[in-house]
Amino acid sequence: MTERPLDVLIVEDEVLLATELEFLVEEVGCHAVGLAMSSDEAKALACDLRPDLALVDVHLRDGPTGVEVARTIHDDCGGVALFMTANVKRLPDDFAGACGVIGKPYSEHGVKTALTYLTVCLREGQAPGPPPVGLELAPAYAQRWGLPGLARATG
Amino acid sequence: MTDILRSERAAEELAAEHGAGDPFAAAIRATRMAMIVTDARQPDHPIIFANNAFLALTGYHRDEVIGRNCRFLQGPDTDPAAIEKLSAAVANGEDIAIDILNYRKDGSTFWNALYLSPVRGKDSEIVYFFGSQLNVSDKKRVEFELDDTRDRLEAAVAARTADLTQALQQKTALLHEVDHRVKNNLQLISSLLLLQNRRVTDPGVKNSLRGMLERVSAIATVHRRLFQSEDVERFDVSAFVRDLVSDMMGAARRDDIKVSLDLERIDIAASKAAPLALVISELFSNALRHAFPPESMGAAVDGRAGEILVRITRQDAEFRIEIADNGVGVENSASSGGFGLTIVQLLCQQLKARSETTPADPGTRVVVHLPVNGVHH
Repeated sequence: MTERPLDVLIVEDEVLLATELEFLVEEVGCHAVGLAMSSDEAKALACDLRPDLALVDVHLRDGPTGVEVARTIHDDCGGVALFMTANVKRLPDDFAGACGVIGKPYSEHGVKTALTYLTVCLREGQAPGPPPVGLELAPAYAQRWGLPGLARATG
Repeated sequence: MTDILRSERAAEELAAEHGAGDPFAAAIRATRMAMIVTDARQPDHPIIFANNAFLALTGYHRDEVIGRNCRFLQGPDTDPAAIEKLSAAVANGEDIAIDILNYRKDGSTFWNALYLSPVRGKDSEIVYFFGSQLNVSDKKRVEFELDDTRDRLEAAVAARTADLTQALQQKTALLHEVDHRVKNNLQLISSLLLLQNRRVTDPGVKNSLRGMLERVSAIATVHRRLFQSEDVERFDVSAFVRDLVSDMMGAARRDDIKVSLDLERIDIAASKAAPLALVISELFSNALRHAFPPESMGAAVDGRAGEILVRITRQDAEFRIEIADNGVGVENSASSGGFGLTIVQLLCQQLKARSETTPADPGTRVVVHLPVNGVHH
């Protein structure tokens, strides 16, 4: 397949985590198009760059505004957000329109397999199988990608 | 004929029936229990008999009560609901026992345990009502005091419960905050190690950084698992092993090595989770890195496919954690018996666990025996 790489926006206020994430994104063949550290930056970049996927931390420089960022990306920017947070349990039930969550602390391998998996889901509109360890899908996206009955698991 | 006269006439009839020689009449006149009789055949049921105890209780003279309905005992603080019940019982011809607040002639009050009962004549028509009064003010006062005490206690309990609920909410919020920080910091440590690993070229240093990253990841996995579960006090070792193995195998990219898991569910105290996780991580990593040297790629040692087995079972008073491979064996491996094994030894000591390394022929088998008692509360 010679499809163009997925454009990925990183929304993370810890610069070391963001830098390492950039490497991981590039290593799985995606294209890191930008880094935002606050909700305003994130919304502006998301609507400007129109990324395919945005990796969104819940706690940003201006507070726990990541949920609102995910909702804007979904509602106004036509993109798909993926949460990366230590507070998985505090996410709203509808995931604010995001496609899922990777719980922190994540591993290098966990992020890579999740990104590879989501690349297929976004391109094909169909999941290649159940999500890998460490990735939890939002119910709406599980449904959309042909994984009905994938309840919100705790393990 | 006036009402008074009529009542006196009725009283005389009653007295005539129960003359001086009637022991029952004598008893009622002399008893310390206040008693009255009303005439049910006259309008408004006037009192036609009151004994001395009644007069003493209420403070009235006999001629002030005969011919009157006994509602003169009621006053402003008498409960209207009690009066209602009393009227209903009289109207229905039923007996009734009720505590009611009454007033004496001097205006002072007393609690009256009133018992009122109809008296029927030969043709079963109600002829009289018989009433007895007992001053229960003392009992009532105790009751009221008890009610009051109970109300105050309930209020105190409610206030304390509110305090505790708030304290619990604060504690929960704090716990979430700390959990959040721990996870973020572990993520930060991982990122630091990964970033440095990208910069260095020396294979020895890279190897050390990889090892440290694995250890930090093991601890991070413990944290993720602990706070995912409802019970933060217990740690599910088998679930952890599944996460760990999946992650390490994925990262190692050794598709030539097959892993079999045979995991019985065991829970240990959360305080032992990190040390045990490090032991397992170290042993699994050792098998993965050293049992199948890349030069024998395909991991086929002497034609065998590479395999690592992780088995967790409970046997009587101990948990048995076995990690076995069919690789080159300890004596042939490049494992230096270095830092990783030191960690295993030290942590086993801390966990009061015993680790045994034996040749598996082929390969190596390490079994960690962990006492259940030292782990369960």
